[in-house]
Amino acid sequence: MSASLAETGAAAPRWQDLARRAAERRSAEVESVVVRQLLTFVLDASPYAVPVERVREIVRVRPITPVPRVPNDVCGVISLRGEILEVIDLRLRLRLRAAQSGRASRIIVAHSADGGVAGLLVDGVSEVLAVPENALRPAAATEAGNIETLCVRGDRFISLIDLDRVLGFDAQR
Amino acid sequence: MAQRSRKGRSGSKTDQEFVSEAEEILDRMRQDLADLNEERVAGEDVDPDVVNRLFRSAHSLKGLAGLFGFDPIQDLAHRVEDILDGLRLGRVRLALPVVALIDESVHLFASLLEQIGNEDALAAAAEPIGRLAQRIQAAREAPAAKSEFGDLALEPSLLRALTEYEEHRLRENIRRGRHICLIDSTFEIISFEEGLSQLTAAIREVGEVLSTLPAPGEAPEAQIRFSLLVASDTPASEVASRLGLAAGAVRLVQAGAPSSAAAPASPVAARPSGVAEADEEPTGAHHDSGETGGPESLKSISDTVRVDIHKLDELMNLVGELVIQRGAIGELVTRLSADAATARIGSDFAKVHKALDRKLRELQSAVIDVRMVPLSQVFEKVSRVVRRLRVDLGKDVRLELRGADTELDKLIVEELVDPLMHVVRNALDHAIEPREERIAGGKDPEGRIRIEAFQRGNHVVIAVSDDGRGIDTAALRALAEAKGIVQPGDVLSEREALDLAFEPGISTRSEVTETSGRGVGMDVVHTNLTALGGVVEVESTPGRGTTISMTLPITLAIIQSLIVVVAGQRFAIPLNAVHETLLIDGSEIQRSEGRELLNLRGEALPLRRLAAEFDLPAAPPDAKPFVVVIGLGEARMGLLVDRLEGQQDTVIKPIQGPIPTVRGIAGATELGDQEPVLVLDVSALLADLGRRREVL
Repeated sequence: MSASLAETGAAAPRWQDLARRAAERRSAEVESVVVRQLLTFVLDASPYAVPVERVREIVRVRPITPVPRVPNDVCGVISLRGEILEVIDLRLRLRLRAAQSGRASRIIVAHSADGGVAGLLVDGVSEVLAVPENALRPAAATEAGNIETLCVRGDRFISLIDLDRVLGFDAQR
Repeated sequence: MAQRSRKGRSGSKTDQEFVSEAEEILDRMRQDLADLNEERVAGEDVDPDVVNRLFRSAHSLKGLAGLFGFDPIQDLAHRVEDILDGLRLGRVRLALPVVALIDESVHLFASLLEQIGNEDALAAAAEPIGRLAQRIQAAREAPAAKSEFGDLALEPSLLRALTEYEEHRLRENIRRGRHICLIDSTFEIISFEEGLSQLTAAIREVGEVLSTLPAPGEAPEAQIRFSLLVASDTPASEVASRLGLAAGAVRLVQAGAPSSAAAPASPVAARPSGVAEADEEPTGAHHDSGETGGPESLKSISDTVRVDIHKLDELMNLVGELVIQRGAIGELVTRLSADAATARIGSDFAKVHKALDRKLRELQSAVIDVRMVPLSQVFEKVSRVVRRLRVDLGKDVRLELRGADTELDKLIVEELVDPLMHVVRNALDHAIEPREERIAGGKDPEGRIRIEAFQRGNHVVIAVSDDGRGIDTAALRALAEAKGIVQPGDVLSEREALDLAFEPGISTRSEVTETSGRGVGMDVVHTNLTALGGVVEVESTPGRGTTISMTLPITLAIIQSLIVVVAGQRFAIPLNAVHETLLIDGSEIQRSEGRELLNLRGEALPLRRLAAEFDLPAAPPDAKPFVVVIGLGEARMGLLVDRLEGQQDTVIKPIQGPIPTVRGIAGATELGDQEPVLVLDVSALLADLGRRREVL
């Protein structure tokens, strides 16, 4: 064995790979009972959701200052306890019919994996659901790619928003 | 504390400057050293950036000490620079002793700093410095591959895979004279975890498992091999039989000492064993500062407090919020006073409000004042570079500095160093002609570069002028045409032609030199200053010289803004960029080449409609527009808006979200009510004025 030991550098990741695979095997068995917490909300009468752990807070609709020279689904900025946050009109972002915000409308302040924060304007917030991981189905790939996963709930599907996509700066827009 | 006797040095100011700057360098080194040590503990590769930073710090310290004539510090810095150089080039291995040596040096520097001004103590420091220098030398010369475990029959690659704690256990077991051996074992992949834990449990009966590592090389199909590094009081052959393994599976790495108290194998092993605990501070070890005046004092030497600039930012934000609240109170006062029923209480309230207002302004300026630093630090850096370059380039240049006591926001000063340095280098390298050429041109053989700083309103102007050859606008234009920045037919004013120097990829010298002139530079200066809300302007006379003026706001914190209204939406314009406001009649607007102009006391003022810039609905044609004349430095333009709403204190805040930067918008601010107001980026609007030529 000593002759080939000089290649430990190459072997080390192998060990990590093995360990990771072993860990994955173990967690895969447990994960069938793992549940995910989803915040569900309504857009154009259909249910949508974001993971609860990505939601910082939910606020009532407040005055939104329009910002020039941005895509039309960025409806402007709000001031939230001294922070200036952009608000995205999720209806427009998902190419649904535009609508005035009503009494039930809320702004969901959510963050992406890399910590970027923004507000999402929705028609109304419904509830927090605990769903088993195995109730999640990959969504059909669309051009916009804003929906990551579908969650089966009885005979209804809830669309999970891909927050990293929606909150990330997307040059192709 | 060191006594402050001065021998042959006049005044303490120079010393204080040195100490203050050196302390900053040491702070940086401590931080980088901690990073480096973390990497080492984590077993990561050496991050070249960290080592390079450390190297540069040592280098700066050396230069600084040399400049101020502190030889002992210069000597030591030189040694540290050496070993860092070795580390940088991979000649020296990143190991605990090396980190500890650098750390000891930093401690020694710190204690030397306390002795500044006390020549005897400094002289006495020569001895500990000498000893440390010798050890550094020895560490440098040690061959890279040979580590403290070099005597072990273990492959270096395997040694490298050991974690800090495992290394420590290995060291400890060697010290205790135990037998060290390597046990090879092969398991089925599907059940290796079980097999491995059984073997580990069995080994624990006879000794200690120091490390479990995957064995390299191809294992048989569906199997995995491990090497276990084991320390035991039992000889290797016996270990094999006790574990029921073939004799060949156990390899002796180092035989233990017959008696348990073995001599330390290396200087490192001689350290107290606690030194190398998993996440230790290597600095916990002793250092040689005893001879230079006791352990490093915790008292800071200079009577200044170093504060994280972000804490000042926080303070500034709080003051900003207060200022906004004050605005809301002011509104209440007005409402109370307007109503006859509450007019009395209203007028009392107004007095209190006024007093609050005054104190708040004092607080505001005090907080701003804390952030202000004189330009002298930057000037000092620049003159050092000039002294060096002067020699390197073989040019006779006299540097004149004026207005070193002009103060600027610390953050702006930091950002200013690079652009200023660049401008000065350019002047030295390109503008000042070689001596012969100057004599032939009837000029003073010695060139002159002057840096002049002065305050102008809320701005500070830093002008760098030289008496060199000046900018050849024809050559500049030819270059710009070659790059497609201007078309051959374009008519450019003299200013526009000179401004080409700030376009990306333009350099007036064709050959590339070390110092500057890679075709990057002036555009970077322009970009950096624009980011700070400043402008850069150039004036040049062929054969006579060039002046580059940089105009910067004094602070980026609370600013007075003019609130304007366009299409019902409010915008804030920083007041320091507003020169005047005019109410004009639509018929006064003239057109030239499709661009709108206003005759402002005989000068042509270019106009822009804010509504059009931002795609907002235009005001009805019969409405009389307001013109806000904005400008930074020499550039001016008029913004057409619907209405003016007065002045307000504003704190510019960054916009968070997917599209944080919008051209022409510097950020947003709150004005007492909840609705945010966008703040215009005046320097961007001015810059766009010259670039965009389409008819609006």
